[in-house]
Amino acid sequence: MKETRLPITETSLTGVQRLVSRSNLFEQLATLTTGYTPDPERELQEPSYYDYPVLKAPTWHWEIIWYFFFGGLAAGCYVIASIALLFGSREDRAVARAGYYLSLLSLVPCPLLLIKDLGRPERFLHMLRIFKVKSPMSMGTWGLVSFSLFSGVTAVIQAARDGMLGRWWGARMLAALPQRLLALPGTALGVFLGGYTGVLLTATSVPLWSRSKVLGAVFISSAISTSAALLSCVLRLAGTPARVLYKLERLEWAALLVEMTSLVTFLRRAGRAARPLVGTAPREHGRTFWSFVFGGGLALPWLLQAGSLLGRRSGKYTSSRGLLISLLVLVGGYFLRRTMIEAGHMSSRDARTTLWNAQKSHSGTNRSTFVS
Amino acid sequence: MQSDVCKHCANAPCQEACPTGAIIRTEFDTVYVQQDICNGCGYCVVACPFGVIARDERGDHRAHKCTLCYDRLKDGMEPACAKACPTDSIQFGEVEQLKARARERLGMLHERGVHEARLYGVDDNILECGLNSFFLLLDEPEVYNLPENPQRPSDTVVPASLWTVVVAMILGLFGVLFFRE
Repeated sequence: MKETRLPITETSLTGVQRLVSRSNLFEQLATLTTGYTPDPERELQEPSYYDYPVLKAPTWHWEIIWYFFFGGLAAGCYVIASIALLFGSREDRAVARAGYYLSLLSLVPCPLLLIKDLGRPERFLHMLRIFKVKSPMSMGTWGLVSFSLFSGVTAVIQAARDGMLGRWWGARMLAALPQRLLALPGTALGVFLGGYTGVLLTATSVPLWSRSKVLGAVFISSAISTSAALLSCVLRLAGTPARVLYKLERLEWAALLVEMTSLVTFLRRAGRAARPLVGTAPREHGRTFWSFVFGGGLALPWLLQAGSLLGRRSGKYTSSRGLLISLLVLVGGYFLRRTMIEAGHMSSRDARTTLWNAQKSHSGTNRSTFVS
Repeated sequence: MQSDVCKHCANAPCQEACPTGAIIRTEFDTVYVQQDICNGCGYCVVACPFGVIARDERGDHRAHKCTLCYDRLKDGMEPACAKACPTDSIQFGEVEQLKARARERLGMLHERGVHEARLYGVDDNILECGLNSFFLLLDEPEVYNLPENPQRPSDTVVPASLWTVVVAMILGLFGVLFFRE
């Protein structure tokens, strides 16, 4: 068997070389963004207990990744819908309508995923025993419950106004409820839901998640960018006028820019602690991160979108390109959360970086910005 | 030597993180997981900077850690580890008395020329208010897998939230700018 495989390996050598050079590009990007060049020899000099992990590995897996994804969509769709409702034209009501429906739809799997993730799912109501400002998970539970209420009511009002609930007196009463007024606290809760997940990961001892303190900013901008992508995708397929789509596309473009800036800030501030996310060594997630998140999910759709927005002015415009951009952004948003969680597992196992992160000389400078 | 003992931190990150209130501080100033409340959310596991608390993945799926023998303390006994230790390397008592004894022992060792001896968790104000289990070490804390000065996770909530709010406002401004015409 081995002999038959040998020639194939030899012929694919150029492919391997190409792969190596690409991983070099990723490696250069990792060094450039984190400002940290790995130095295995010096790291081996650092004291540690036989590299035995200092921290216990997170217990969070695919459920949390999908919760972060759907929670971001539920939050972002609501926020965009409210902006369209409060500030947009009559035509922009299409964005509000789709946004409120999609928000509720994306919200449905969230509690199920969170309950499934618990060690003892039947005890999920214990989350509502206390209200603890210091614990982002406690605040998140209350935030999710309150947001669900607003998202539900807003979507029901929308359905009543769209005639989906019939014409009986109850539907008329629901349609008469002040949707705009409800949208204000709902949007505040939406921003909370889209961002608290990043704060939750920050308030841990895992070096990758906790060091930079800008993960909430990354997650809220990703919530807006993925939601703008989902909305423009759905509205495009529904045949919404190009004028309305144009606004969404500009928002998507701006959100991608903000997200890239936040992400680069995250990497720079995390420094060495960001290696599991951006590095290309075995078990580091840099290949997925640079190709699906930063490259395919942010930079490429941002450039394509910029081209589209410029092209629109000169009259050239294709809708299949818009769909491609939306798809890239959504896939990138999923992989952002996935690599962030999986690299967090890796980060918790890295004894030397954990100990380095907790050194007085390293943690002190980083900490004094806000506290003390 | 590498010890996985719970430090029963004065500001315990696991307790601050716990969203159910399962983790409490007892009348003995120890940190204790109430097993009838814990729903196994796993947040304490990543909050603990010492890697002490863990979720039982094969058994009851709840968070577990050293209780400092809460049941024995209630009956007026010392924890089993301190009782069993044949060399009295593990000692139990009032924290202030133990800390005084530790400083005294450190002075003695320094006098005898053991200059590498040091205390961990006594005067260093780890997690801002120190630890209730502490160590006399003969090398840097890292050699014993102890983080020198870990960040208190709950301290990051305010700066992380501020960053989030600032970026959310920028995004909101873009949204308003593009939709208002």
